[in-house]
Amino acid sequence: MSTATATAAALKPATAIEGILRSTLYLPNLNARRKTSALEEMVQALVPAGVTRYPAAILDLLAQRETLGSTAIGKGIAVPHARSALIAERAVLVARSIRGIDFDAPDGKPVQLFFLIVAPSVGRDPIYLKLLADIVRAVRLTKVRQRLIEAPDFAAVQEALVHAAAD
Amino acid sequence: MPPLTEQLQALVRLQDIDLLLREARDPKLAGHEARLGFATPNLGRVERARQRLASQIDDRLLQTYERMSRRFDRVVVSVEHRVCQGCRMSLPTSSASKNTSGVRLENCENCGRILYRL
Repeated sequence: MSTATATAAALKPATAIEGILRSTLYLPNLNARRKTSALEEMVQALVPAGVTRYPAAILDLLAQRETLGSTAIGKGIAVPHARSALIAERAVLVARSIRGIDFDAPDGKPVQLFFLIVAPSVGRDPIYLKLLADIVRAVRLTKVRQRLIEAPDFAAVQEALVHAAAD
Repeated sequence: MPPLTEQLQALVRLQDIDLLLREARDPKLAGHEARLGFATPNLGRVERARQRLASQIDDRLLQTYERMSRRFDRVVVSVEHRVCQGCRMSLPTSSASKNTSGVRLENCENCGRILYRL
């Protein structure tokens, strides 16, 4: 890397995604076939990772968020998100469904890639909002979505997301 | 510090839904979500779910919560390292729990918020 490139890279603002992704919060192939069970499978994975001790309450909150309006944004992507007093730390869980799950998407397409964002409810949280924006921006490109669908492991998912969010 | 009882957990869930509704009604935050592709058209359905949850909470506990909600965005807060996460004041090593309609609660001696430990 040239000095100029290295300087530019160093000056580039860090994305919120960088540093928050964890291999323990990656589900490469959801077993669930329906919206509710998909949310449940994702929420259950938060427990051993130490993100929450109250999965039923978090599932209920996410279900209420879905009632407010689907968090599927089309093109096979959903970003369920909520803040709760029962969340110990901010976290992003990435999950994939090879067959796809009906998630009430605006384009009617089944969702294959899920990005569950949870955060404690401690006043305003600009990082939470930035995470939401970074993830939505990262997955807008077809080539990024394709890389995520075909990623062989967590490292490839992480690389694809961090790279896309920084672009 | 009392454990997160069923009633206290219901109160925290109510507070979470209140935050969800507050953010959905906030033009700036709702606008941010809408620009990202998240529409929030069904406020009424969530408001009804809130009513159902509220009806399961002890009357006096709910009244306390509703009254304190006028002062604080978050009425039920966690304690971390013996610090109230509402007002950030240190709490005494041992605080007495008190009974409110049989529901054991602890309040911050400084701000009065209802405390729980995650």
